[in-house]
Amino acid sequence: MNRRDKARMVVQPLLVVGLLSISSGIGYAFHFSEFPETNIVITYLLAVHMIAWLTEGFLWGLLSSVIATFLFNFFFTEPYLTFSVNDPSYIITFFIMTVVALITSTIASHAQKSALDARQKETETKAVYNLTNHLTDASNINDIVGFTVGEISTCFGCRAACLCFDENGNSERFFIQQQTESRQVRREIENPEEIKRRMEQLKTGYEIGSEFYDWPIYGYEKMLGMIRIPIKTAQTMSAAQTRLLRSMIESVALAMDRLRASELHNRSREETVQERYRANLLRAISHDLRTPLSGIMGTSEMIMDMSTQTDPRYDLASAIHKDADWLHSLVENILSLTRLQEGKLILNKQPEAVEEVLAGAIERISKQWPEYEIDVSMPDELLMIPMDAKLIRQVLINLLDNAIKHTLPDGDIHISVEKDENSHFAVFKITDSGSGISQEDLPHLFQMFYTSRTQIADAKHGIGLGLTICDAIIKAHGGTIEAKNRNDRTGAEFTFTLPMEVQMYEQLS
Amino acid sequence: MNSYHKNILVVEDDPQIRNFICYSLKQAEFRYITAHTAQDALSHLISEQIDIMLLDLGLPDFDGMDVIKKVREWSDLPIIVVSARDQDSEKAAALDLGADDYLTKPFSATELMARIRVAVRHLHMHGKENQQGALTVGGLTIEMDKHLVYLHNKELHVTPMEYSLLSLLFKNIGKVLTTSAILKEIWGVGYGNDTQALRALMAGLRRKIEKNPAKPRYIITEIGVGYRLVDE
Repeated sequence: MNRRDKARMVVQPLLVVGLLSISSGIGYAFHFSEFPETNIVITYLLAVHMIAWLTEGFLWGLLSSVIATFLFNFFFTEPYLTFSVNDPSYIITFFIMTVVALITSTIASHAQKSALDARQKETETKAVYNLTNHLTDASNINDIVGFTVGEISTCFGCRAACLCFDENGNSERFFIQQQTESRQVRREIENPEEIKRRMEQLKTGYEIGSEFYDWPIYGYEKMLGMIRIPIKTAQTMSAAQTRLLRSMIESVALAMDRLRASELHNRSREETVQERYRANLLRAISHDLRTPLSGIMGTSEMIMDMSTQTDPRYDLASAIHKDADWLHSLVENILSLTRLQEGKLILNKQPEAVEEVLAGAIERISKQWPEYEIDVSMPDELLMIPMDAKLIRQVLINLLDNAIKHTLPDGDIHISVEKDENSHFAVFKITDSGSGISQEDLPHLFQMFYTSRTQIADAKHGIGLGLTICDAIIKAHGGTIEAKNRNDRTGAEFTFTLPMEVQMYEQLS
Repeated sequence: MNSYHKNILVVEDDPQIRNFICYSLKQAEFRYITAHTAQDALSHLISEQIDIMLLDLGLPDFDGMDVIKKVREWSDLPIIVVSARDQDSEKAAALDLGADDYLTKPFSATELMARIRVAVRHLHMHGKENQQGALTVGGLTIEMDKHLVYLHNKELHVTPMEYSLLSLLFKNIGKVLTTSAILKEIWGVGYGNDTQALRALMAGLRRKIEKNPAKPRYIITEIGVGYRLVDE
């Protein structure tokens, strides 16, 4: 019970006593002036009416109706100063007086109550309107929280607070509380997980804590936060106030939802713009590098064509051509890597026939290295695997290229594909019969820009990016890649796997 | 084949590349005209007898795609696109607009000459397109009028779907057919996107005609774009 209620409990009986005493006094004046008794009765009725009007509820009005009748009986009917009466006709006067007083007091109380209700409704409407009005102008979540806390604090005369939950429904570390009328403070909460858990298990409209009553703010999809009302205020809130708080929270939820939606929209639009910008840039770079490369390669080819193979110029042109070709594959690899390393690569994944991708890689390699024969084995049935065909072809080209660089033309290079029915992975294996991988290189093979230290003279042709790209591409597909030396003879063996079905998650490197 | 009579229009704005293309053409005894812009190319096409056009897509005045569109309004001369753009979607778009072939830069002269020879052969076949006779590539023969396929002179059993796929490829021998174009031809409009069905059909056909589907001799996959029946 708050102070206002206590005051009311004191004031109202005093009012009853006071008004009835005054009317008794006036009654005595009338009595001595020998005015008709009707005036006294009317005076009492006036007092009852005023009491009903000035007090809250029906109780005091009804009580004073009865007391007024008894007072009239006690003071002004013979025998005086007793509750007995000589003239029985007074019984009728008493009865009518009581009834009239009762009706008057009831009507007055009613009127008073409706006026009170109307006033309260008006305050509520005004409070909600004020809040909604401010919330419409809010451009970020801090504005919303600020307005809400301020408005609720003013409305309920307390130091209300608000705690927001983030987009994943996790509680933030700080909540905002109204300190004074114009000051809000951030307070840290001790255990966000605990609060979140408690809120999720909530069955009633609010949660009772040690300092606050917490009212959840439910959004369209999930909980957006909560309004914290200090425990003292919350305990004395009337049903009407609770209702008001609910409707205010509802407005807050709407505003927060609206803000979230527009933020999401803006972000995705921004991402689209960035994505397009990046794609355009990559395309432009790729285009601008290809054009001069094409000129260099074509021209060197032309010079080779013009000179005989014994001519030193042939060798020079051939070297230019080889270097340009190497540059070309480096450019391709860097472009794939930039795409991958953004971490946001959207794989263009769809079921592809393994044989077609293999054929694509082998065709490219055979064109470049016609003197090498590549051995292929794969299942007889058609194998369809979800993948980005161009990227997987790039992996195969890089691995085959690597194998060729470490193998003499008469050595065997083998590529095989198998289905692992148990794990639902397709296993690709590329083996060569070269010198194998040195022990010190093995752990670093897939690191960026790592080129073998054991082959400094030929370091350039290790590219140093090819295997890194393979690693990134395979991981982005949710597969694995590893390298080891062959057990049966010298040579390296690269194995990579690809999931046979689309996985729910995409692991990005 | 007498290539000397063929007149080739080289539309390319980069002088280096133009030089080397022209040199290669000269070596192979083709006649050629060069154009640096799309406007230039169009006026050459109108005023002169051109047999084949090599077209770069990135031209200073108009996009090469627009050139293809324009030319296809009145002529079906073979167009070989030579471009530094390597996006599958762009390749497919150029081919669907009516280009016959697509070569991504950097390319080798050997590659370019091979593609030009295919186009020349096309020219010879031209006019006999409705011919119902037999067409042969390597050991593979198709008899259009009898609906029969032979592999190394032995009759090969193919399903009706496989037959329509093979005959479509034969009719466009040497040319890249985009996945969507094949789907439209064989399944009809409305099945536009069922590339999986095409993959499966292709795998079945390859198992009948290729020794090793991973090293195809006849039908080459252009990853992300479509298929081509090899022409030599």
